[in-house]
Amino acid sequence: MSAGEKDGSVDRINGIKSTLRVVPDFPKPGILFLDITTLLLDPKAFKDTIDLFVERYKQRDISVVAGIEARGFMFGPAIALAIGAKFVPLRKPKKLPGEVISEKYVLEYGTDCLEMHLGAVEPGERALVVDDLVATGGTLCAAMNLLERAGAVVVECACVIEVPELKGRERLRLHGKPLYVLIESRFEPTSC
Amino acid sequence: MMTLKTFNSDVVILKPQRFLHSGNFVNPLKSPAHSFPSTCKKKQSISASTAPGATGGRRYHTAARTDLRPCCSSHMDAPVSDGIKDDRIHRITSAIRVIPDFPKPGILFQDITTLLLDPVAFKDTIDLFVERYKDKGITVVAGVEARGFIFGPPIALAIGAKFVPMRKPNKLPGAVISEEYSLEYGTDKIEMHVGAVEPGDRALVIDDLIATGGTLCAAISLLERVGAHVVECACVIELPELKGRDRLGGKPLFVLVSS
Repeated sequence: MSAGEKDGSVDRINGIKSTLRVVPDFPKPGILFLDITTLLLDPKAFKDTIDLFVERYKQRDISVVAGIEARGFMFGPAIALAIGAKFVPLRKPKKLPGEVISEKYVLEYGTDCLEMHLGAVEPGERALVVDDLVATGGTLCAAMNLLERAGAVVVECACVIEVPELKGRERLRLHGKPLYVLIESRFEPTSC
Repeated sequence: MMTLKTFNSDVVILKPQRFLHSGNFVNPLKSPAHSFPSTCKKKQSISASTAPGATGGRRYHTAARTDLRPCCSSHMDAPVSDGIKDDRIHRITSAIRVIPDFPKPGILFQDITTLLLDPVAFKDTIDLFVERYKDKGITVVAGVEARGFIFGPPIALAIGAKFVPMRKPNKLPGAVISEEYSLEYGTDKIEMHVGAVEPGDRALVIDDLIATGGTLCAAISLLERVGAHVVECACVIELPELKGRDRLGGKPLFVLVSS
């Protein structure tokens, strides 16, 4: 589901939406990149973003917030602090020191890998996965796999933005997990 | 003892759709450089020990400790009574683990991820920074990729400042300004968005750790080039032997823990 449907936070959502910017042809020609850094420049919108997630999760007994490198690091820790959960960074290969578990996942061309510290998450923990945006859902699925391999239960994945055309929500549904987003970004092929 | 089950991912390759559209824009830029060697070579004898239990407990195969000293060094006044602050600093210090031979043999890596697993210690870390900066008119918190992204945003949120990520090259979309800096071998670069920071903004630079100060120095340069005033640099950990504190162009440094 998306925010704004039930909880009367439409004003906050609209405020957040208005801060996002689209950067065309990044990282490659033809791609419209949804940039959240302009959201971070608006203290009220940034606070509202965190508050919306905290309101949703504070009573859900979440013990772990896992954030995906690097933009998941900008949202995850603040949520973790507010709900009293641990924060666990999920990182690209070779960034985490010490022992890790790795999960490979497929990109459009080639593969990538996500790592988590061994021992950071324990069996039975209830986890939330946070990233700025969900596109195909590949990274979120890799994140969920890491947490589940460590014995955690993934309660939900949470992102600021969803790009529905890329069907990440469906991919998560196949994994058996719900997705919560604040904003859906749909593009129409018109010129402005 | 955890067993890891082998996992076969059933993946679907989805081809992302491409769209033709036009969007918002932002604008131009240039760049000088600073050279500071970045070395961190220490060899100390290590005894494996278990870090004190936090919520849920932690099990690590290597949990070595070196001599981490609590400290709160800077020129500014301590805003909290020393007794309370000492308890928090002690817990923070205890939550940091040292990993030997990472990323290379002979290096003792100060790992803050174990601090993040202790909600009380993590909150205390943020609170200590917030207490120091909340009445200093800070309008921008700049965090250095990637571990500066973990500490910077909660501080920014609490003091009502903007958060600006300082990133490795080619990560930020749109127009950026870059600052090159020297490493032990070769150079690296950090970037900031054009227009994120304005002349007259009062800035705080955040990272998890300061070693030689090269990265922080580059961050200070980026902010000053756009007309901001850098009030202070703040890190969780300092490695004083590497003298980063002396390489900040006269800017003050505040840290919680000295190693």
